[in-house]
Amino acid sequence: MGVGGSGFQKRRRSCGPAGVRGGNGCHGMRLPRMDETSSQNQLAGSGSPAGVANRQNLEEPNQRIQYSIPGILHFIQHEWARFEMERSQWELERAELQAKIAFLNGERKGQENLKNDLVRRIKMLEYALKQERAKYHKLKYGTELVQGDMNPPVEEGGEEVRVDPDAILSTNTNVSWKQSRHLLRQYLQEIGYTDTIIDLRSNRVRSLLGISSGENEENHNSTPAVNGSDTTKRQPDPNRWNVSKKPQSTLEAQIRDAEKAVMENFDFLRSEGMEMDEDDDEEDAEEEEDVHGLKSPKVAKTLDVDDVDGEPVELDHEFPFLPDVEDNPPGVMGFGPARRGYGGPGGEDDALVEGLGELAQLTVNNEADASYDISSTKENFRKTWTAKYTLRSHFDGVRALCFHPQEPTLITASEDATLKLWNLQKTVPAKKSASLDVEPVYTFRGHLGPVLCLAMSGDGEKCYSGGIDGTIRIWNIPSSNIDPYDSYEPSVVAGSLSGHTDAVWGLTFNPQRQHLISCAADSTVRLWSADTRSPLLYTYSVERDGIPTSVDFVYESSNQFVCSFNTANCVIFDLETGKPVMRLDTEPDQGSNSISRQINRVVSHPTLPLTITGHEDRHIRFWDNNSGRLVQSMVAHLDSVTSLAVDPNGLYLLSGSHDCSIRLWQLDSKQCVQEITAHRKKFDESIFDVAFHPSKPYIASAGADALAKVFV
Amino acid sequence: MPYWPLSGQVTLGLRWQQHGEYSQHPEYQNFYRWCDEAYEEMDSTLVVQQYIQQTIRLDHNNIDTILNAPETQDEGVWKYEHLRQFCMELNGLAVRLQGECQPSTCTQMTATEQWIFLCAAHKTPKECPAIDYTRHTLDGAACLLNSNKYFPSRVSIKESSVAKLGSVCRRVYRIFSHAYFHHRQIFDEFETETTLCRRFTVFVTKYNLMSRDNLIVPILEDESAGHGESEA
Ligand SMILES: [Zn+2]
Ligand SMILES: [Zn+2]
Repeated sequence: MGVGGSGFQKRRRSCGPAGVRGGNGCHGMRLPRMDETSSQNQLAGSGSPAGVANRQNLEEPNQRIQYSIPGILHFIQHEWARFEMERSQWELERAELQAKIAFLNGERKGQENLKNDLVRRIKMLEYALKQERAKYHKLKYGTELVQGDMNPPVEEGGEEVRVDPDAILSTNTNVSWKQSRHLLRQYLQEIGYTDTIIDLRSNRVRSLLGISSGENEENHNSTPAVNGSDTTKRQPDPNRWNVSKKPQSTLEAQIRDAEKAVMENFDFLRSEGMEMDEDDDEEDAEEEEDVHGLKSPKVAKTLDVDDVDGEPVELDHEFPFLPDVEDNPPGVMGFGPARRGYGGPGGEDDALVEGLGELAQLTVNNEADASYDISSTKENFRKTWTAKYTLRSHFDGVRALCFHPQEPTLITASEDATLKLWNLQKTVPAKKSASLDVEPVYTFRGHLGPVLCLAMSGDGEKCYSGGIDGTIRIWNIPSSNIDPYDSYEPSVVAGSLSGHTDAVWGLTFNPQRQHLISCAADSTVRLWSADTRSPLLYTYSVERDGIPTSVDFVYESSNQFVCSFNTANCVIFDLETGKPVMRLDTEPDQGSNSISRQINRVVSHPTLPLTITGHEDRHIRFWDNNSGRLVQSMVAHLDSVTSLAVDPNGLYLLSGSHDCSIRLWQLDSKQCVQEITAHRKKFDESIFDVAFHPSKPYIASAGADALAKVFV
Repeated sequence: MPYWPLSGQVTLGLRWQQHGEYSQHPEYQNFYRWCDEAYEEMDSTLVVQQYIQQTIRLDHNNIDTILNAPETQDEGVWKYEHLRQFCMELNGLAVRLQGECQPSTCTQMTATEQWIFLCAAHKTPKECPAIDYTRHTLDGAACLLNSNKYFPSRVSIKESSVAKLGSVCRRVYRIFSHAYFHHRQIFDEFETETTLCRRFTVFVTKYNLMSRDNLIVPILEDESAGHGESEA
């Protein structure tokens, strides 16, 4: 119920009959008053019903007996008392509405600030882009590029938005609310920052207030009826919003809903900042429609909390909104310039960061540049992942897998000493259509013994595999459309990197630096250059920390790597000096055996100074790179955690365990979004590796049962 | 450097370190020491593979033990899992052949002069060079033995699918025979390390998967001549 609507109606109705009442005696006024008692009761508490009841008792005798002076006096007295009471009620109501006005004004101010900030950012980005384009154009063609205006952005955004605050304060009508909201909305819309972002916020507030989504929906439903206006309210669409079979909590669902909506909106923003293209424009138009349809229920929605609860006391609940309004825009905007893909969409990143919640606050430095295109992963996570492809052809456990940066292909590495290349577009027709079998398009033979780890170059041309034989082999990846039974092509074997003297356990490629880093049971970590003749750049001896189990580059700080050890140590090293930069505070209580806490996998967050470790003791732990402190520790699986992967946008974490399951986690809430039992056990081991496709909506798991599975 | 004995020991994993058996020295056998489990105690669906790999790892020369099925074991699954293991270990021979067996020198898949083997991996059988025959045959066997159509389960196997095992055996055996007759040094080194050809020969004979006439590598005769078999 919208108070904005029903409140005003109440006032009108109770005023009208009261005016008539003086002349017409009692009968006329009783009926309309009676049917209002219920709603007045809500506002005025227990006072009203008692008053009405009294009046009725007195009136009956008065009508039968003739009017007497004491009777009339009594009646007048009584009426006066009643009017007084009503007056105080109205004043209460007025105060309440004024509080709301103040609140909404505050909200509006917050929105304006936020909008101005966004406009400023967009202008700056546009300007930067134009400059880049001009530079590029000049470099390429040697002439100046003629573009629209090349003036640096001026603070002009502030002017056009200005709405006279008095206009809103002076007229307490539904119309002016609507108008100003509408106006604001239009401005926001111009910058692509439409009401879904407000939805997000109010959703958050709702969940803060502990209002369940059930109530929420109820509210939405009743809104149009009361307002007598506008049409559809955006309900969470079950088809599009289906991330988890069993949502952890309504709060989470709401936030995710909001997050999704925000991402949709940023889609809009992207088309704004970049060159226009036809499709995007159409989408924009649709979105606009949507927005208009929403504006009125929106008004009601912001106010409705009070109405549901009825009693004026609930007014207090309203005010937690206020600090929130002040807080939130800076919260949204506080993350400095976000990392962007080259020429990639602007804005979206902000939205993603926004989705990170508390993690986002860890952001100190987002300068790490990355080359992957983040646009296409936008739709990745809005659904339940289901097993679609089964990759069967290995004879023994699959130790590692790795997706091509762009194409729907992947490579698996197995204990059967081979690597296999799979093209997900080449499937074998299966009996049961639920999942498709894939046959490999190429088998790489070269390792003498099990292959343990795998990495692919940034362009997807080469791949690197580390084996128990202590070698790292380089492969030129053949075309994914090759005939599997083609003749032997020796050029596939591109050599090997020798240096390690024991099993190579970890391998990571850094596309920015064109470097490969490996760790092995010989207690060394080695840095290799991808294309020079003397590939070994550096050997880091890490003996004092134990035997390295896994290694990753620190993406947030470009010249560091992080290495985990069987001793449960985890250390960040400087790539140039080889000196430890930060020793993560993994020391367990003295005396407890560190072997059980052994780290099986370490991954570095793509944008944040955050390190994530998967442990033998079933935990996943999160570390702040700057302080070395434990951010969070959680029991994540029923058996040891063997593998971790963070999606390219840094929003989700995928973990695999010997408990046969893979789990998908939301990084901001650390909530498990989905669990999939994926592989069977062999020798007490089950899942060896998990991976996200860098640009397509695929995830994959590799198991001891000789299978790899791809989920969509 | 021993190779395949290792592959049998394959719980290489980090699990080993947990058991405190992890060694910093590159001696693989110690590195992945493995607490053996009795067959009955293995509860995995991959129990047969586990068991086979465990016995190979204990002593790859002890062919009788390796091929001796536990009493309750279904024979179809037993044969199937052994064949998987053979194909897997044959990768090691293929890797070695890759370096020496060139399409220019071994233009056809031959053993003795008697036969030229056609590669059955193609729609119409083809006269592939030896190295391609080797790769195609192993790749084809990997696909067939992992095929959801013929071998959907590793716990029980249809009789009609068991019949497929014989032809896989016949084809992969030609890799042994080509290596024996054309790349003897590679064959001998590999056999010393793995005893794979002998095990294979005993296996197909024991389960009647190939006719004796086709077993042209004189490996069992070697054995009757002298037990060592490590003649260079
Ligand atoms: Zn040859
Ligand atoms: Zn062929």
